[in-house]
Amino acid sequence: MEQKLAEGLVDALHAAGVNFITYLPETRLSEIIPLLQSDPSFQMVPVGSEAEGVSIAAGAALGGKVVASYMEGTGVYVSCYNILTVGVRYGVPMLLLVSYVGSFADRRNSFLYVQRGTKLIPQLEALDVQYQVIRNGEGLERKVKDAVRMMNSLKQPVALLFTEDFTI
Amino acid sequence: MIRYDCFEWLAPQMTNQIVVTSLSGQRVEWGHLSKREADLNLGSMGNALAVGIGLALALPHRKVFVFESDGSVLLSLFNLPTLANLNPPNMAVFVFDNQAYSGTRISYPSATAGKTDLAAIARGSGIEHAVTVTELDDFKKEATDALNQSGLRFVVCKIEETVGHRKITRSNVDLLETKYRFVRYLERTEGKPIFQGRG
Repeated sequence: MEQKLAEGLVDALHAAGVNFITYLPETRLSEIIPLLQSDPSFQMVPVGSEAEGVSIAAGAALGGKVVASYMEGTGVYVSCYNILTVGVRYGVPMLLLVSYVGSFADRRNSFLYVQRGTKLIPQLEALDVQYQVIRNGEGLERKVKDAVRMMNSLKQPVALLFTEDFTI
Repeated sequence: MIRYDCFEWLAPQMTNQIVVTSLSGQRVEWGHLSKREADLNLGSMGNALAVGIGLALALPHRKVFVFESDGSVLLSLFNLPTLANLNPPNMAVFVFDNQAYSGTRISYPSATAGKTDLAAIARGSGIEHAVTVTELDDFKKEATDALNQSGLRFVVCKIEETVGHRKITRSNVDLLETKYRFVRYLERTEGKPIFQGRG
């Protein structure tokens, strides 16, 4: 991902009021991590599994933080139990920042990723998680704010799936 | 050591500490003995420890107790290195280890009935104060220290497999009710809104 786009995403998260992020570095969006770490308004929590990333974020949300959990698309599969049992069942607002690996517009798509991409949206829909696909930086701040408003209104996890320009 | 005895002693000691429980008999017994708004009954395996971490990080001035079981911790062992490295000083984890998947009703042994030592795994993960207690007096000492001192604690409590919780009338309080009660309590005591969204 180009540095300018990474900066735009971090600025958008900041503007939306996100202040607590669990993360497991991955292959598409990881340029945001040093930017997030250098901004003291974000409490950054590295995890070893997306499953605990979701549950730790949920705890922080119940404690008053505006939370996001950043993961690769594969992390949705890893954490679907946590998304369901804590996020959905308990009704906890959280933003899932997901790199949409293996999607049509994934510029680094290959036989390694494609199956993970084709099943991702059915997985989210099975979990009843609302989502939006984001392809470029156009209107990024507004889209992230919309997602945060959506998660707070629903009191459920909401996912943003990043592809195309975010996968270069 | 009997888990109910531990809780019966501990419940009256609690004031404003947050308690997160998972899904074994400890959830039923603690819910029976403690009716505090600061209790968060999660009702799922493998989540209490991580949710407790999130709460401890979000509210570093409050003490967070997590009550886990051996089966639940074994389900999410990746929590232990994460907990060690984050090292929240306001968190105490008590794992009630009966060495069995008691809820199966066939008393199926967990890994801790065999060669697995959860406190050793915790120490190997980097948690400095990770101990095993087998007697009620030792539990009381660890719990008293957790109440009065700062520093991450991970205490494996070896308990007998008991079925007393099955005789306790189950609560009808839904998980959503528990969540709202807990969050409204935090909003009131922390003096800040938590759930946003205009009505």
